[in-house]
Amino acid sequence: MDFVIEGIDYTSLIQKALVLLFCVALSWKMIIYMCNMLNIEQDPIRVLITGAAGNIGYAIAPMIARGMMLGPDQPMILHLLGIEPTSRSLEALKMELQDSVFPLLKGVIATTNVVEACKDVNIAIMIGGYPRIPGMERKDVMSKNVVIYKAQASALENYASEDCKVLVVANPANTNALILKEFAPSIPEENITCLTRLDHNRALAQLADKLSVPVSSVKNVIVWGNHSSTQYPDTNHATVSTQAGDRPIKELVTDQNWLKNEFIAEVQQRGAAVLRARKQSSALSAASAACDHIRDWFLGTPKGTWVSMGVCSDGSYGIPPGLVYSFPVICEKGSWKIVQGLSIDEFSRKKMDDSARELAEEKGLANSCLNA
Amino acid sequence: MAKEPVRVLVTGAAGQIGYALVPMIARGIMLGADQPVILHMLDIPPAAEALNGVKMELIDAAFPLLKGVVATTDAVEGCTGVNVAVMVGGFPRKEGMERKDVMSKNVSIYKSQAAALEKHAAPNCKVLVVANPANTNALILKEFAPSIPEKNITCLTRLDHNRALGQVSERLSVPVSDVKNVIIWGNHSSTQYPDVNHATVKTSSGEKPVRELVKNDEWLNGEFISTVQQRGAAIIKARKLSSALSAASSACDHIRDWVVGTPEGTFVSMGVYSDGSYNVPSGLIYSFPVTCRNGEWTIVQGLPIDEVSRKKMDLTAEELKEEKDLAYSCLS
Repeated sequence: MDFVIEGIDYTSLIQKALVLLFCVALSWKMIIYMCNMLNIEQDPIRVLITGAAGNIGYAIAPMIARGMMLGPDQPMILHLLGIEPTSRSLEALKMELQDSVFPLLKGVIATTNVVEACKDVNIAIMIGGYPRIPGMERKDVMSKNVVIYKAQASALENYASEDCKVLVVANPANTNALILKEFAPSIPEENITCLTRLDHNRALAQLADKLSVPVSSVKNVIVWGNHSSTQYPDTNHATVSTQAGDRPIKELVTDQNWLKNEFIAEVQQRGAAVLRARKQSSALSAASAACDHIRDWFLGTPKGTWVSMGVCSDGSYGIPPGLVYSFPVICEKGSWKIVQGLSIDEFSRKKMDDSARELAEEKGLANSCLNA
Repeated sequence: MAKEPVRVLVTGAAGQIGYALVPMIARGIMLGADQPVILHMLDIPPAAEALNGVKMELIDAAFPLLKGVVATTDAVEGCTGVNVAVMVGGFPRKEGMERKDVMSKNVSIYKSQAAALEKHAAPNCKVLVVANPANTNALILKEFAPSIPEKNITCLTRLDHNRALGQVSERLSVPVSDVKNVIIWGNHSSTQYPDVNHATVKTSSGEKPVRELVKNDEWLNGEFISTVQQRGAAIIKARKLSSALSAASSACDHIRDWVVGTPEGTFVSMGVYSDGSYNVPSGLIYSFPVTCRNGEWTIVQGLPIDEVSRKKMDLTAEELKEEKDLAYSCLS
């Protein structure tokens, strides 16, 4: 049917108008879409914190939410896991996180359900564990934690994202990480690490204090081995940035005796010193070190700088494979790599072997708990 | 070229708000990612060992921006040269204590801190009072430190402001960063008035008033207000401890916006010395909507105030006047 009135073809006109309207609407939508693209925000990363109701959890949650772990542009969703008796505290933590209106924090899941907690997480910070109570035997602590980490291993393996990066903080950190690895065989072993960054940072701080320089000018200490009293803080390759460039610590700290004895003892016993002063164990510095560990892993270490991470040993530096051992590493594109070729003197060799031996013992103890 | 470090004092630093606050300051959340800081941590002698433990942890964290830590129980050493003072220390209310008793203890604390700040802080030191009763502690501080410009003495209501933003964003299921311009009027107490009449939400078709989107005046005039007012108590009930994380975070927001400036088109809530704006009696520390620029805050003027709001604003002013009288009676 044609609408033709007084020679003007209204049908054709209406058709043309509709086409024009359609084109304008489409262009407008495309313009809006392109404008939105410019403001495109990254997809949120899911970060799991176990033992989230404790002191380290309370310290680390706002650090993560402010971008200290993943960078100032990376939004995140926090998964907070705790055991049933802590569920109210978990709820309160969730409320406080909401009350802080962190722009990067896109959601909080507070739960005592391990499946819900592990679902699709890209990063897992394992702070939860059985603490050593005065009077407890080492075997008892070990056996409790072995059970916990075996269970968490399968939850992570089944529900976490494929690329999930794991950081074990709860002690015995190295052995808990080892158990996790053994019972989550489909998680790539390079994705399972433990925290020795706290010891690394403590070592940097002690050196900076000795030399009266800013801590940011000291780098490349190494913490070898177990996150325990057998850890070996090694200054042989550490440097200080001065006006005349980077100079070895050994040149500037002439007291070799201090470096080989007092310094090592200070770093090894620092945790106990903080506990004595505060009547509580380090939470602030542990949380901060955990952020540093993940941030450097994710975003890469600065050029010329390495850090310490507890990682699955590949036999480097004569350390038996099959242990989670702290090595010097550099990080790039989301992967860590052990720094190779560093010279190891006799003194260091002995200390590194002592710590490896302790780790082998812990591994034996853990396995016996599992078989019991 | 690195900036000169800014000295930041935190009183009551050995407590749990202090423990949450100091790493935030040391990471640049309070003053910016390129601003080095020197932390002054002050507490009372019984807390000296714990305070030293916090200093040890700050050192162990190897914060690049942290250029020094002074941990002391001496108010003079604590206040010397500080550019920012966050007053978290105060006498907490214990069970069975009368309001008058809490007030009288805090009044003497803030009178002596006023003298120390006045004599030893850097000129133009910015002061934020967190310890309750925050508004009245700030008022005492102002009265007994007359040479500190009155505009430099503020109290924290940003926590309530942030809580209000959080409640609105949860109600509307929008990101909290899309909600802005709520106002907290008055006292940081149960008479505070969270006002959404000028609050907006960012939508795909521009900024819309919160009232329009929530479509539930009953909730906005009732439950919403009481939830924000009582949020602190709700947290205590669940944690068995008062809010530290969120208090510390909002203290950082308060100082950061004050120093760096508020974003265009956004205002925030700060407890400031009243100049009579909005018919609020002058001579009180009262929470107002403010914008900040060049290190100074300015009360947002000309916002229409409806009858309901007027009543609530007057109620909280009255409570502040009573607190002021009580404080003065404790001093005499």
